[in-house]
Amino acid sequence: MIKLRKSVKKKDKEVSESPKQNKETTNLTIDPSLEQTLKIFREIYTVPTNHDVIIRNLSIPGKDKPAAIIFIKTITDPQIIEQNIIKPLQSSTEPFQSIEDIVSAQTISTENNINQIATKINNGNVALFIEGEDLAFLFDASNFESRTVEKTENENVVKGPKEAFNEKAATNISLIRKRIKSENLVVESAIVSNESKNDLFIIYQKDLVNEKLLQNVKARVKSLDTNAIQNLSLLEQYIEERKYSIFPTTLYTERPDRAASFIEDGYIILIMDNSPDTLIIPATFWSFYHSAEDHYLRLPYANFTRLLRILALFITLFASALYVAVVTFHAEMIPPDLLLAIAATRERVPFPAAIEVFIMEIAFELIREAGLRVPSPIGPTIGIVGALILGQAAVQANIVSPIVVIIVALGGLSSFAIGDISMNFAIRISRFMMLLSASIFGLYGITSIFVMGLFYMLSIKSFGVPYLAPMTPNYISSEDTIIRRTLQKEIFRPGYVKPKNLKKRQGEN
Amino acid sequence: MKKQINRGKIIIYLIPLFILSGCWDQREVEEFAYVIAMGIDKPKDDENLIKITYLIANPESGNAASGGAGNEPPREVISFKTDDFVVSRNIANTVIAKQISYDLLRILIVSEEFARDENFIRWIYDATKEMEIRRDAKLMITKEDTEKYILNNQPKLETRPHEYFQMIIERGNETGMTPTSDLTTFFRITEADADLFLGIYSTTEKEERSSNPINPDNFKAGEFQYGGETNNTQFAGSAVFKEGKMIDVLTIEETRLTFMLNPTLTAQEILTTFPDPFDEKYRIATRLTKNGTEDIKINTKKSTPSIDVNVPILVEVLTNHSMEHYAKDSQKRKTLNKSFEQALEKKLNELIRKTQEEYKADPFGWSLIARKKFLTIPEWEAFDWMKKYPEMDINITVDVELGKFGRQGDIPKLKEIRD
Repeated sequence: MIKLRKSVKKKDKEVSESPKQNKETTNLTIDPSLEQTLKIFREIYTVPTNHDVIIRNLSIPGKDKPAAIIFIKTITDPQIIEQNIIKPLQSSTEPFQSIEDIVSAQTISTENNINQIATKINNGNVALFIEGEDLAFLFDASNFESRTVEKTENENVVKGPKEAFNEKAATNISLIRKRIKSENLVVESAIVSNESKNDLFIIYQKDLVNEKLLQNVKARVKSLDTNAIQNLSLLEQYIEERKYSIFPTTLYTERPDRAASFIEDGYIILIMDNSPDTLIIPATFWSFYHSAEDHYLRLPYANFTRLLRILALFITLFASALYVAVVTFHAEMIPPDLLLAIAATRERVPFPAAIEVFIMEIAFELIREAGLRVPSPIGPTIGIVGALILGQAAVQANIVSPIVVIIVALGGLSSFAIGDISMNFAIRISRFMMLLSASIFGLYGITSIFVMGLFYMLSIKSFGVPYLAPMTPNYISSEDTIIRRTLQKEIFRPGYVKPKNLKKRQGEN
Repeated sequence: MKKQINRGKIIIYLIPLFILSGCWDQREVEEFAYVIAMGIDKPKDDENLIKITYLIANPESGNAASGGAGNEPPREVISFKTDDFVVSRNIANTVIAKQISYDLLRILIVSEEFARDENFIRWIYDATKEMEIRRDAKLMITKEDTEKYILNNQPKLETRPHEYFQMIIERGNETGMTPTSDLTTFFRITEADADLFLGIYSTTEKEERSSNPINPDNFKAGEFQYGGETNNTQFAGSAVFKEGKMIDVLTIEETRLTFMLNPTLTAQEILTTFPDPFDEKYRIATRLTKNGTEDIKINTKKSTPSIDVNVPILVEVLTNHSMEHYAKDSQKRKTLNKSFEQALEKKLNELIRKTQEEYKADPFGWSLIARKKFLTIPEWEAFDWMKKYPEMDINITVDVELGKFGRQGDIPKLKEIRD
């Protein structure tokens, strides 16, 4: 995922460097003269230098007028163009038959602004120009290349649907419609960038969503003034409130089932082309802590994994920091057996405990980062080299003590239990902050960093929703925070998104 | 501009935070020499000095992970004269390379001679001043000189000293053969000035035992005769402290009886024998456990204050050498029950008499219960528990409940086997 983001950023740069679109065409309307119109479009698309833009001249026998169609062949479906557009046009003999009746394409619209027409062509439409007509007919024949619907890669579940979003917005919307077959589901579209004209789809359930929240999201999307926003990962950074905060405030998921269940709770989700994900707005801390499987597993199993996950979260945060604090400042807290064992293993280690842990922590992060970047065939090798050689050799060379290897490995392993990549980073960065303050101030440092972190989390809002809601401040909700309740008891939608209808179902009693 | 000034202010405030509070007094765990046990003695020739013996653990012994240096001994002992055990931490560094730490100090060993000294209490109170000494450290009394004790104490299997002391003291508590003897309890009882404190009694010197051949589990440390190839140290019985000064030693049996009467002490399993009521030749092995809490009624209003104690005891009969079928015979069980009760009551009464007449104070912690009868502390102090105790009217009743009769209740009929 990180890989993807980085490459996207690079592309983004290239796009912004490209020359600006001709300003003079902005308000031009097309000329009734076909020759004149085609000349303008040849200029716009730099035909014939531009290889995949096709201008095909044809004549409509019934009308006895020359005509031409313009399309980009790499993003259109040749089958549709041939069967539904060219063939009917050429074989029509009735002079008074309208174009709508001749062409059997799915959608037909007319447009006379050259700039608008170009946008449509860029989106995979076929434009038809007829001599003497001062407007163009546009038929949708778009066929952008994309992956098929594949299995999830990051948010895997054992039990439950395995479908994941892909890079095509239409597919993604279809995956959501498949789950919410309701006329109340609204898919609004908006263009978020000036030049690349990237489409954004705002999806919500109109009988649930809070109008204020919706206006807020729309306003933020509208206020964007950039050339191009390739995908949601970039959009996320444009619309979030705190850009320097280590905590994410929008939830990024690749699972249509998860997105659908958020829509059903009154949230808003954003979909864009080129993003195999959706953005869920607003997001609270708990939504990062939860996983899709939590509701698919039966109650005891789900809560078991939830408890494991929160344990893993605390181990990640505290394990190495506690070790450093206790060993350097509070040795009397450790039982004698353990203290002597630690002292024995540290006897020949040349570094203070804090440095030792930092070395291993950084080594672990390096292995992790390198493991992400290496081409997949070498991946396992790197893992073995990293874990075995580094850990084992470091211990044998008395660079680190074996207990530190255990503690760092445990903390590192536990960090994987938080599936969401943004929250994962947040936790890992806080772990280093904890470690630093623990090595300077001991337990006092850990406590104060933790308290400061809690204060900070309480101060964050995601689109007006407090980050730790519904726990603090308390809201009416299904109380799905650290552990969940039975489905029958989850009566209310989350009160903090202020849905129009708070009750999901009648209660059990 | 204003933002910059604010940022500057924050940095200015943060810097002293690091400098003033920081980690400058931190020290890594391996830079300490951990004293596991500390012996305190009175040198014969000098009144104002004490002799300190440190038992320092070697963390590397028996540790496979550290690599190399497997031949180092598990411990190091140093003994020297000094003013007190606070300054001794520095003086020891003339010989010991690492800083002396009391973090792992789990046991304070005092020689009997010093414990019986009037001035013992002056030195032991240093433990309340020293930052690192934990209040749950144990106080142990040895018959001999502590240096000799520590040197002679050579456990064969539990070579790491902290492990040895921890295990043997814990086990002694469970079986009721040695008291719990926390340092904090010593200070509490000494300061309350009402009860007796019991400390662990131990020695490495075996003595020829002459008296009392009847009961094989009524002895104190040093009197236990054993052969074989093992450690010389015995932990048995308790040292009795009155007003911060040792006055006597209780045997194992007396210590266990104290466990039964003292509401603050619990022994998990006391294995002991009783005379068999059906055949005087044999003794019955039993496991005694407290069967609920003892019922202690204290009346301080009477001219002679009275204490009525009812001790509920669950007795499991473990052997049956007289081969009597009491498991199936309620009459015999009644006899058995009665004989246990009588035996226990007799022993308890003897102990009570001993504390009243000999010690003139109780080791049972009853003053804690009696305290509640008074509205104010001055009233309680005016009552003077310790002074009144020898004259008190004490009634002990034992309520025995028979538990299991071993794994197999049945016993073959001897006559049938030998026909």
